[in-house]
Amino acid sequence: MLDHTEAPAKRAPATRAPATRALRLGVCGPVGTGKSSLIATICRELARTLRLAVVTNDIYTDEDARFLRSAGVLPAERIVGVETGACPHTAIRDDVTANLIAVEDLEERFAPLDVVLVESGGDNLTATFSPALVDVQVFVLDVAGGGDVARKGGPGIERADLLVVNKTDLAPYVGVDVDQMVHDAEHARGGRPVLALSRTDPGSVAALAAWVTDRLAEFRGGHLVPVDPGPMAAHSHSHAHSHPH
Amino acid sequence: METLALLLADARLPAAGHTQSAGLEPGLAHGLDPAELPAYCRTRLATVVRTEAASAVVARHHWLAGAPLEPVEIAWAARTPSDAMRDTSRLLGRGLLRLARRAWPSAVAGWAPGAQPPRPLVLGAIAAHQGLPSAELARVVGYDDVQAVLSAALKLLPLDPAETTVWCLELLPDIDRLSEAVAGLTETDQIPATGSPQIEGWAQAHARTTRRLFSA
Repeated sequence: MLDHTEAPAKRAPATRAPATRALRLGVCGPVGTGKSSLIATICRELARTLRLAVVTNDIYTDEDARFLRSAGVLPAERIVGVETGACPHTAIRDDVTANLIAVEDLEERFAPLDVVLVESGGDNLTATFSPALVDVQVFVLDVAGGGDVARKGGPGIERADLLVVNKTDLAPYVGVDVDQMVHDAEHARGGRPVLALSRTDPGSVAALAAWVTDRLAEFRGGHLVPVDPGPMAAHSHSHAHSHPH
Repeated sequence: METLALLLADARLPAAGHTQSAGLEPGLAHGLDPAELPAYCRTRLATVVRTEAASAVVARHHWLAGAPLEPVEIAWAARTPSDAMRDTSRLLGRGLLRLARRAWPSAVAGWAPGAQPPRPLVLGAIAAHQGLPSAELARVVGYDDVQAVLSAALKLLPLDPAETTVWCLELLPDIDRLSEAVAGLTETDQIPATGSPQIEGWAQAHARTTRRLFSA
């Protein structure tokens, strides 16, 4: 008979992350919505004032890591790619080991860092980060994916710390009403923030940078409590509906 | 079968197993015939996995005897000539160590923060601490490797998962034979230097490619 009775190590309280390390910021969302581009934008805006590093979770190549390196927004060695074995969802949710090791290596190598950005491999609407990996997370949609996506909901859309509706400059070309899409998203999120973003709209870029620096201040002040968007959409609807479950 | 062995061999163990193809991805890229997958698994069990399993068993023995594990690590490294494969084993060892610090903290208390022991040594320490017999420990190492190959194959090749399961079933006696061969080892100089230049060459090439689904 084996002795399995050793008490496990005390679980770290699931409240505040220690502010002695960098803020870990996750960026997830479906393929092609502009996650890498959003990270490049954050780096471009903040690299002069904050010490940054990036972990990418490319699916089949180091495309995202190369894109970010070639964008020249950070020194190349501060951007590392992690292979997920075609399991991008697993790598940010149920087995975050490889990503945590990459984050810790960057934090050690370039100490002290202010923010480590973790980009998930593009996945479906149910993929969100485990709070064991990131302190705060952004879910990215884009107008080209269709104006109805925000209404479809899901944990990232409904409960990520920030929902970005990206590429608003493309709205006229894809027949999407940005205001309506943002309104749908705000309705789905119960007051959580929604940001309509375009690289070509300086006001929206400034708002994104301000949101990141605000979270960093909150983290350093010990007030940031990681919130798990959860793997599933809450099975309830605030509106009347007739579709079967 | 001890239930702890089931836990350690479970792909759901959060220790980065999903990032591994056990050399299959570079193998296929360099011409390995998909029909030879079972033979590839047998080759690994007879070569690189034999060294890993023996290192785990000897590490377990050293842990129980209160002897230092550094000589086992040196012996393992000397018998693992591919630096890419050593890096992979250390990365996986680090992942398992992270988990072990929560699950079995006194098993791995000997490693300082930041240590990067190879995976078989961490497994050996857990097995020693938890009373997992050496034969079971060796089976865990062998079974995990076979399943790493076969589950990666399902991502890389047009295969029926039922077929790879049948292949795994047919490989179980090979895993048992590996276990029998290494379970009684106690000394570092008994760890076999059964490398495979072909597998090592593929691992080296994979570490330099920019098109990777799997880390190794």
